[in-house]
Amino acid sequence: MENPPRSAELPYVDTKPQGSADFYFAINATFRFLLARRGTAGWRSYLEELGREYYAPVNQGWRERGLPAVAAYWREFFAAEPGARVEVVAGGDRVEVHVHECPAIKHLRAGGREIVREYCQHCHVLGAARAEAAGLTMRLAGGNGSCRHTYATVAAGLPPQDPAAVAEARES
Amino acid sequence: MIGCYDFCGHYEWTFAWLERQGGPRLVRDYWVEAISRDSQRHACELIGREGFSGMAKYWGHTLAEESPELGFAITEKPGVFRIDLHDCPSKGFLLRNGLQQYSDYCDHCMGWVGPMMREAGFVIDHEHNHCGQCWWEMRRKGATGGLAPPGSVAGAKDVRLLPHWRPAGATLDRCEKATEPDAKLRA
Repeated sequence: MENPPRSAELPYVDTKPQGSADFYFAINATFRFLLARRGTAGWRSYLEELGREYYAPVNQGWRERGLPAVAAYWREFFAAEPGARVEVVAGGDRVEVHVHECPAIKHLRAGGREIVREYCQHCHVLGAARAEAAGLTMRLAGGNGSCRHTYATVAAGLPPQDPAAVAEARES
Repeated sequence: MIGCYDFCGHYEWTFAWLERQGGPRLVRDYWVEAISRDSQRHACELIGREGFSGMAKYWGHTLAEESPELGFAITEKPGVFRIDLHDCPSKGFLLRNGLQQYSDYCDHCMGWVGPMMREAGFVIDHEHNHCGQCWWEMRRKGATGGLAPPGSVAGAKDVRLLPHWRPAGATLDRCEKATEPDAKLRA
C-alpha cells in the first residue's frame, strides 16, 4: 500500500486530489440522526468533541504557527472539496474565509436532499471548538450556501457570536 | 466545516463516539437509519427496483469514483453479484493515515449494506481481513450452501487468491447468508 502524498496543512490525506461529494449526503444524514437521537445539546457536544479530538493535529499547528497556518489550512482544505468557490483573506489579527459557494449545500441541493436546518451552525460549533483549542476565536456570518468564517486572535476582540447571524439551511 | 475529502476519518471517529454515548446498539441504528435509509437512499431505491442490475449500476459508479486506481473487481453471473476489493479506498485511507478509534471499521459496510439487501430480498456472503481487502457475494434470499470456493465466481480476480489475503497475524471476519454485522464469525 503506497503512502499518500503529504500535505503541508491537511493532517489526513488521500490518494485522490478531492473527496467524493456524495459523502455530504452522509454528513447531512449524520446530523439528522444525532439531532433526532441526542437532541441539539448532544449534537453540539458531538461537534465540540470532534473539533477537539479528531482535528487535534490541525489545532496544534494553528496554536504553534498562528494565523498563517489557519489561512494555509483553509486554502488546502477547500481545494480538496469538490465544487467549492472560496477566497481566504489574511489580515493582521484575523483570517476571513469567504465561502462564495458552499460545496456541501450545493451538492445536497443538486441531489434533492432534505437539508438539516441546523446544517450551517455546525461550521460555527465545530470551528469555535477548534479555534479555542488553538487559542483563537471564531465567528460565522451567513450560511445557506454562502458565508464568512472569521478566525482571529483573542486580542482582536471580536464581538460575541450572534446566533441570528447564522442562516438556516434550505433546499433552495 | 466538516469536509468530504477525509470523510472516512471522521466517519470512523463518529462510530466510537456513538458507542461511548449509546453502546453498540446506537452504532447499529446509525448505520441503518442514517446511512442505509437516509444517506444511501439512492442505492436502496435503485437496488430495490432493479436487483442485480441496480447493484452493478450503484457499485460500478461509486467504486470507480472512490477508487479511481480500480482497486476492485465486479463480477456478474447468473444468480450472483460479486465484489472483490483488492485495495479498499475507505479502509485504505484509515490505514495510510494511522486512524483507528472504533473496534472494526469494516463492520459499517455490513451495517448499511446488509439492511438494504434484506429489504431488497437478498442475502450476503462476505469476508474481510481488516487490512483493506474483502469480498461480497449477493444472492436471492433463500439461497443455500456455504461460501463459494476461491476463484469459482470471480476467477483470478478473487481477492482470496492474493498472496496478502491472510497476512501473518491477521484475522478474517466472515458472514454467511447474512444481512447484519453481528452475524459475523471470526475465522
